[in-house]
Amino acid sequence: MNNTTKWKIEGKEFDSRLMIGSALYPSPKIMEDAIKASGSQIVTVALRRQAAGESGDNPFWELIKELDITVLPNTAGCHTAKEAITTAMMAREVFGTNWIKLEVIGNQYNLQPDPFALVEATNVLIKEGFRVFPYMTDDLVLAHKLADVGCTTLMPWGSPIGSGRGLMNPYNLKTIRQQFPELQLIVDAGIGKPSDAIEAMELGFDGVLLNSAVALAQEPVVMAEAFKHAIYAGRLSYEAGVMQKRDMASPSTPTVGTPFWHQFK
Amino acid sequence: MTISVNGELKIFETQTLTVQKLLEEMNFGSGIAVALNEEFVLRATYKETNINEGDRLDILSPVQGG
Repeated sequence: MNNTTKWKIEGKEFDSRLMIGSALYPSPKIMEDAIKASGSQIVTVALRRQAAGESGDNPFWELIKELDITVLPNTAGCHTAKEAITTAMMAREVFGTNWIKLEVIGNQYNLQPDPFALVEATNVLIKEGFRVFPYMTDDLVLAHKLADVGCTTLMPWGSPIGSGRGLMNPYNLKTIRQQFPELQLIVDAGIGKPSDAIEAMELGFDGVLLNSAVALAQEPVVMAEAFKHAIYAGRLSYEAGVMQKRDMASPSTPTVGTPFWHQFK
Repeated sequence: MTISVNGELKIFETQTLTVQKLLEEMNFGSGIAVALNEEFVLRATYKETNINEGDRLDILSPVQGG
């Protein structure tokens, strides 16, 4: 079991088990402050078309670089394996990292990943030297297929991106955890509040990736700090081992020496 | 020749054009990545990568992401 002080994932070591997105914040300043408050050392970024003539510095990218954190580029918006592979290669050149959060969307309504295209793209990218963080559904067989092609990290969703619905199917997540004790598992997407993150960590997940839950909070910086503590608490809870539930009450105060009041028979 | 740059049609008064030349003419800066007809183009090959009539170029740069 990993200890709470350090987290090793894909060849790097971190203090925080929170991975945070850089989108949807009310302002760049709030994004910067929220990232700092979260304690996260891994931030997701993306690529989009640049307008011609924007030859100067990219303020967003300059800000992220100044934070001196690890970036995890994504392939958001890709709908085919080919699109995702090309985007990953472009991201590797621009961001200077072989890490890629691989998203291949299969359904526009709930942004559900396409499991077939995901495995296809993962297979190619791992052979190209990428460290793939696949955004996936909580499907056990898909987890097997991704592990078979070489993934050492899996990122099943809690619920659809940006929905804030928490963990829709804790049983599936728990099963993946049980079946893949050697892999790094991260709940990615759907986290709405800190207690959702705690639930994920108490299931034994190694980390949580979220964005909207912080960026869309009324006070993003405060919420970022709330998640920092939640994920730490959830990890400690998992390592400590939660007590077994019981059907009957059991007094915590000693019963020996109970004085004069009523005794149940 | 007419080519598509980031989804917009552009006309160039030349018969020979490379990725490098196009980026310079359109004043694209550093910190970008290029795909030609949805295939990634290594930065080191911009000078020798020719663009032909009807090609589609995507020029991407970092943005916020989740």
